Amino acid sequence: MDKLVLSKNDFTKFIDELLKKDTVFAPVENNGTIIFNQIKKSNEPNFNYQNSQYPPKAILFNQTETLFKFKPGPKGDIEPIKVDEKKIIFGIRPCDAKSLAILDHAFTGDYKDPYFLTRRDNSILIGLSCTKPGVNCFCTSLDDSPASSKYVDILLTDIGDKYYVEVVTEKGKQITKNTSKFFKPAKENDTKNKKEIEKQSVNAIERIQKTEKIVEKLDKIFDNKFWKEVADRCVGCGTCTYLCPTCHCFDIQDESTLTKGARIRVWDTCMNPEYTIHASGYNPRPERTNRVRNRVYHKYNYYPKNFDIIACVGCGRCIDLCPVNIDIIDVVTRAGEVKP
Amino acid sequence: MVNEKELQDVVEKTIKRDDVKYIVGYEKGTYGFQVTPSFAYKPEDAKKFIFSPLCVHNLTVFPMLEEKPPLRKGEEPDSRKVGVVVKGCDSRAVIQIIQEKGLDRDKVVIIGIPCTGVVDPKKIEAKFPGIIKNADIKDDGDNFVITIDGKSHKVAKDELMPDKCKTCEYPSPILYDILIGKEIKSTKKEDYKNVKNFEKKSMKEKWEYWEKQFDKCIRCYACRNACPLCYCKECLVDQLNPQWVRRSVDVSENTAWNFLRAFHLAGRCIGCGQCERVCPMDLPLMELNKKLEKDVKELFEYIPGINAEEKPLLAMFKPDDPEEFIL
Repeated sequence: MDKLVLSKNDFTKFIDELLKKDTVFAPVENNGTIIFNQIKKSNEPNFNYQNSQYPPKAILFNQTETLFKFKPGPKGDIEPIKVDEKKIIFGIRPCDAKSLAILDHAFTGDYKDPYFLTRRDNSILIGLSCTKPGVNCFCTSLDDSPASSKYVDILLTDIGDKYYVEVVTEKGKQITKNTSKFFKPAKENDTKNKKEIEKQSVNAIERIQKTEKIVEKLDKIFDNKFWKEVADRCVGCGTCTYLCPTCHCFDIQDESTLTKGARIRVWDTCMNPEYTIHASGYNPRPERTNRVRNRVYHKYNYYPKNFDIIACVGCGRCIDLCPVNIDIIDVVTRAGEVKP
Repeated sequence: MVNEKELQDVVEKTIKRDDVKYIVGYEKGTYGFQVTPSFAYKPEDAKKFIFSPLCVHNLTVFPMLEEKPPLRKGEEPDSRKVGVVVKGCDSRAVIQIIQEKGLDRDKVVIIGIPCTGVVDPKKIEAKFPGIIKNADIKDDGDNFVITIDGKSHKVAKDELMPDKCKTCEYPSPILYDILIGKEIKSTKKEDYKNVKNFEKKSMKEKWEYWEKQFDKCIRCYACRNACPLCYCKECLVDQLNPQWVRRSVDVSENTAWNFLRAFHLAGRCIGCGQCERVCPMDLPLMELNKKLEKDVKELFEYIPGINAEEKPLLAMFKPDDPEEFIL
């Protein structure tokens, strides 16, 4: 792994250089809300952010994805959609980068999803370490760090007067090679500073989720009344799932007018009763208790059983924005304490 | 200030009644300024109940959200009453739903709390960021006294209250079975200042403003689900045959959804502001609601959620209705 430094003066110049050739997505302010959007100039992004309100998974796994277009006719005139755009996601947080690695499992199983995977292969993640974690950040409870370089191609960490740059992958190396004029090799002191910043950031995370043996525990308490207690207050909106960087369920629909149409897929949410309703009218998850429990089980039981990783990255978005304070840190920690 | 002990005693006494299934109130949340809805099924659950300016939720939504899965053979439906703790604005939602026959007056026990204004969670979290330990907030006349880690801060109410409280004309519950504390009279007046200012803008400016807002919408339907008056068995946007609003999330469909939501609440919205509070993308939904509220008031001299005996606006006819807007 190459260890470099980037001076603060060169930071925007570096982005400008990237913009010359690539499509760059970065956190921008949109009417008071931080989201990842395509930028045209290096002064557009707002890097003074905790995390984007809407997860950057949306860049690779669009909320509305057109699968193909069609026109009426005896032969069924079908126009496929080509997904090949290359993107740099600049300023992605380590937790959100991890979420993409978690999504890889879902999209590569029995069927390789060309839309997500093509975009994933074509995108370069330039991460930005979290130096001021939010109230509900808990990535450390899930064996990670706010300054982890594990899931990005390049990781930048603000170490005061400059950025410490860790070049993790070949893709990342290509970038720093092409823009080598902005980088200098890191000195031992810089590496020490990064470690110090990382330590401070880890220590700034105060909330802890107890995930020890949670997979086995959840196996034992599926029918426990605990889930009703948790779900009583749920209003059944899709905030937690739509803002979750690892949720990946979708619905497929044909949307057409008289002359043209498209098959689209849109994010779906297991909080919606319609999510599981059968054509017969039977619903295996008829109550919010079943649905709230499913969200927790999918992340902390089914996913680790299938792919050996908890499908939560500890970004805290679902906690920050739940209308009724259903708090996944608290729910999972308490589930661990429930007597089977 | 509301006496929490009195509230807890009332809840304990009420839940002991044979004809009450559960009572929904408020309890401390898991961090910082959070308060969360609390359900009392047993007398000892009453001890969890609190009331403070952080109790922002309109709990009337919960009896409306109750799901009734099909009964098994021989099972009888549970027809006991549901208790709800309400503030002034919340009580208007109960009235409106009773008016619309969405709830039976005999099936609710309304525990009313006169309210002196709540705190906007987004505003207080911006003013005091990074608070994890439960903070305490008390009402002190024109100020809120916020105690964080033993240290008190006095902040003017105007700075922290949501707009709906600044112009609230009904701080005391209008309909209740039990009232905690004494009724409060309001000296505030809703003058629709923001609506009037917005009305002055050109059509183009208005559209540009809302287009940007609707573009942010992610269609999570938190606005709908947190709204006590959105209680249709099947919401129009969920219908597939015919499909009124497409599932695609784009400006066009988002606009359709947001207008549809607002119009379906015309003459029904009681202004509790839950839609705006819960919106994860910070859409100023109350601006739409307030515009319709103002129009309904001016055109029909009608204010929703005031009198449970009255007929809903769109279900009544008066020969002397003004008709100047009909082409």
